[in-house]
Amino acid sequence: MSLQNFLRRLDELQSDAESAFTGASDSDALEQARVAFLGAKNGQFKDVQKMLGGIESSDKRAAGMRLNEVKNAINKAFEQAQGSVGGGGDAQIDATFDPSLPGTRPTLGHVHPITQTIDHLTEIMGRMGFEVAEGPEVEDPWHNFVSLNIPEDHPARDPLDNFYLATASVNDSDRSSETGEGQRLLRSQTSTVQIRVMKSDEPPIRIISLGRVYRPDAPDATHFPMFHQMEGLLVDRNVTMANLKTVLRVFANNYLGDDVEIRFRPSFFPFTEPSVEVDFLWNGTWIEFGGAGMVDPNVFKAVGYDPEKISGFAFGLGVERLCMRRHGITDIRDFYSGDLRFLQQF
Amino acid sequence: MLVTLSWLSQYVDLTLSHDELVDRLSLSGLNHEGSETVDGETVIDLEVTSNRGDCLGHIGVAREIAVLTEQKLKLPKVHFDESSVKVQDLLEVVNEFPTACTRYTARVIQGVTVGESPEWMQQALRSVGIGVVNNVVDATNYVMLECGQPLHAFDASAVSGNKIVVRPGRQKEMLQAIDHRDYELTPQTCVIADADAPLAVAGVMGGASSEVSDRTSDVIIEAADFTPLAVRRTARRLKLHSPSSFRFERRVDPRGIDWASRRVCQLITEIAGGSVASGVIDTAEGIADRDPIILRLSQLSRVLGIEIESETVQRILSGLGCRVDGSHGDGGAESNSLQCVPPTWRHDLTREVDLIEEVARIHGYDQIPEDAPIPVAPSSKRPFDAAMSRLRGVLTSAGLSEAMTPSVVTKKLDVSLSPWTDRPAMQTRTAMLEGSRRLRRSLIPSLLQSRAANWASASLHADLFEIAHVYLPPENSDDAEALPAENYHVGMVMGEDFFAAKGTIETVLGRLGIRGKLRVETVERDGFAAGGCVAMTLDGGQSNEVIGYLGILDESLVRSWKLPGTVVAAELSADRLVELSHLVPQQQAVSAFPSVLRDLNLVLPEAVRWDALAGVIRSAADERLTDLAYQETYRNEKQDGPERKRVLFSMELQSLTGTLSGTDADGIVENIVTACEKQLSAVLMR
Repeated sequence: MSLQNFLRRLDELQSDAESAFTGASDSDALEQARVAFLGAKNGQFKDVQKMLGGIESSDKRAAGMRLNEVKNAINKAFEQAQGSVGGGGDAQIDATFDPSLPGTRPTLGHVHPITQTIDHLTEIMGRMGFEVAEGPEVEDPWHNFVSLNIPEDHPARDPLDNFYLATASVNDSDRSSETGEGQRLLRSQTSTVQIRVMKSDEPPIRIISLGRVYRPDAPDATHFPMFHQMEGLLVDRNVTMANLKTVLRVFANNYLGDDVEIRFRPSFFPFTEPSVEVDFLWNGTWIEFGGAGMVDPNVFKAVGYDPEKISGFAFGLGVERLCMRRHGITDIRDFYSGDLRFLQQF
Repeated sequence: MLVTLSWLSQYVDLTLSHDELVDRLSLSGLNHEGSETVDGETVIDLEVTSNRGDCLGHIGVAREIAVLTEQKLKLPKVHFDESSVKVQDLLEVVNEFPTACTRYTARVIQGVTVGESPEWMQQALRSVGIGVVNNVVDATNYVMLECGQPLHAFDASAVSGNKIVVRPGRQKEMLQAIDHRDYELTPQTCVIADADAPLAVAGVMGGASSEVSDRTSDVIIEAADFTPLAVRRTARRLKLHSPSSFRFERRVDPRGIDWASRRVCQLITEIAGGSVASGVIDTAEGIADRDPIILRLSQLSRVLGIEIESETVQRILSGLGCRVDGSHGDGGAESNSLQCVPPTWRHDLTREVDLIEEVARIHGYDQIPEDAPIPVAPSSKRPFDAAMSRLRGVLTSAGLSEAMTPSVVTKKLDVSLSPWTDRPAMQTRTAMLEGSRRLRRSLIPSLLQSRAANWASASLHADLFEIAHVYLPPENSDDAEALPAENYHVGMVMGEDFFAAKGTIETVLGRLGIRGKLRVETVERDGFAAGGCVAMTLDGGQSNEVIGYLGILDESLVRSWKLPGTVVAAELSADRLVELSHLVPQQQAVSAFPSVLRDLNLVLPEAVRWDALAGVIRSAADERLTDLAYQETYRNEKQDGPERKRVLFSMELQSLTGTLSGTDADGIVENIVTACEKQLSAVLMR
């Protein structure tokens, strides 16, 4: 056989095979076409391959190369056709496959809503330059009261309003047996942290203190003897109440996500003067946000600052209350129940 | 504090509408808590902060309204005729307890006719919720609600020896109060007594024996100043809180005592007749002026951030009762300041900054602008918060939810488990919840309780964690001032699988960039199953300090919580984890050359633990052993003999500098096998 004829035969074979494969409408037709062209025993390609033996030896090399090319092209055409009729038998999707069945979900735990609220608050305050500071929950009366301008006869020190710790020794001849006060207590506010920071650092100071505080309230839907406070403190030269109002308004706009109005109502806290309650106008009603004020000169004196040179503001708020408002939680006790049916919702 | 509009209008013209008025009061310090109409009277409920005892009477509230609306306060003129009888001839007063009673005044009215008080007075009292008794008692209550000074009227015939003694109570002394209950007095109680017996608990409640009744003809009027602390402690101890004790606790006007005494004499003689004996018995006449305070006007803008004109400042302070002098000193720099003598009823005004607050609240906090931003300052997240955020990420991915449980626990919880310390827990004097007094030494008992509650209420297997303080008692528990070691711990409770818990911890360590291998040492701890608890430390250049405990909980403990199955618990020191963490990862070179995987199956004595085997393998190999992975253990006594086990593991071998040949790999494996045979009596299964 001449090389010419052989090559023509190859071209014919290639175009016949390609059109047969593309023309196959389903996998059965494609399989028939495969057997016809690529079948190991009687396939047309096999027949043409046998013709190679009758080619002049000088032409054999060229003929062989062409044969290989055609073989690859036919195989490729088959694979393409196979893809378009829905793949081979093994990859076939079972007719019973129901993609509308629910997905298999990984079991994920949940971060406590109070933690989420704290993260949110610290992030907002962080953008205004406030860093987190912490201190111990078991405190002495100096940090919890004296340095905060709460003198010895102040009602805030009453044993009924504080968790004083029992002393191990039975020797209660000191004044504590008379007053019921002790030398250690669970802190009733996070302001103790502010004192610790001011005792160790020099102004400017810009911190928020966060953590658990304790007051002997009978538990009900809005009270729990343990809760979380966030307190902010800014101490520098030339800090005014206008700064305080500005910072709180920026905070409110950030947290409540709207242009929130803010107002101050006079109040009384021993560690600030002037002292105010802060309200936010939200959805048409004034919401109590927390207490604030300018740091009392006595507090500055207690930590060794000169109140003539230094001024500052402080504010405090209950984390639970903000969290409850944000998430529509109606019972504060749910936070501390450890109930998964509650925790899983956040 | 309840006030009625008509009552207020006796002292100030009410030029504002109700809504405007309560709004102005709220924004100047008397927060409006509600209003209602009683018998046609508008009654307003105002919240009075503990520093404003002066506002616990209608006149005090009227003074606030007067200064807010720029009016003058109208005080009633007090006038009555005195008889020729001198009060000193009728009564003697001895003050033996001046620390509890700083001023005691007494007047005597003879020949009163006790009966009903007039309708206007009854209505005034009823509208603010005070019960009507008789004209004498009603008059004392009326004056208290008018000016805030509590008063008491004694039936003079019941005062033995015509003598009033202010003194400490005596041991085991009893008094029947006007509520007809008996109260025990103590040496800390200030009592008003006659020559023989106690008549009243000072500042708290009168006694039944000297109560004014229909048969009373002569009355003794007490107007006094009892110290807040003494009254508060007594009221608390006796659980007797009265409108009087409430006011004494917030301090009365020491100078106003005499005005109140005269005012009530005037009202009683008007409505009950009788004649007032001349003069007064007073243990502390002539209350001195308060010390003057200098207010520098420049301080107003320094604190408030706004300027307020001097005339406004003077008007406000004078209106509040201060004696203001703007021309004191000798001019010069000082002319920009005011000298103020605060009124005796304002105990809260002692310093310049107190006056600044007064000016600010009356001038209005709405005058303070909101456009004073603070300078920019950098702030960064603490490593602790960054580390805990990653830790929460791992634990929630592992299916644990974060719980928060109370820091103070019951004895039952406290004693069930305390792996960190044997020292007894610190305790609070008052219980927090359901008898909880103990500051917890471990988070695990609380989490176990929560897991049990979840199982009981919803059949949920709650896998929980908590990040909170534990309070490890100080070494010297006798030192009343020693603070506990308060450390952040991470507690976890999970179901069944010890190795799932351990793997979670290993992942946490990895996520925190903690270098060094986790090492465990079996320890015995109460609350954990014997042999099932390990102390965790870190290998490799780090200290030997325990970073936490992990273990299977004791079955009887788990059953006591009515929990099914096995519970695995762990507690890590969060503070230690943060110290050891490397939160900024450093890139390690990755080998460009292929790795070779080899599996080995060794028969080992039962006593050889995986950590011992891994140690021998690692030291026998070189740095080209890049990974060692445990596969499984199985036991076949028939083939391998007793106390033997087969351990399967795989090794990844790789070089950073070239392709490892099969011969290289064989060499490494050969070394490993030889070492295991020698050191661990291992036998290689081919």
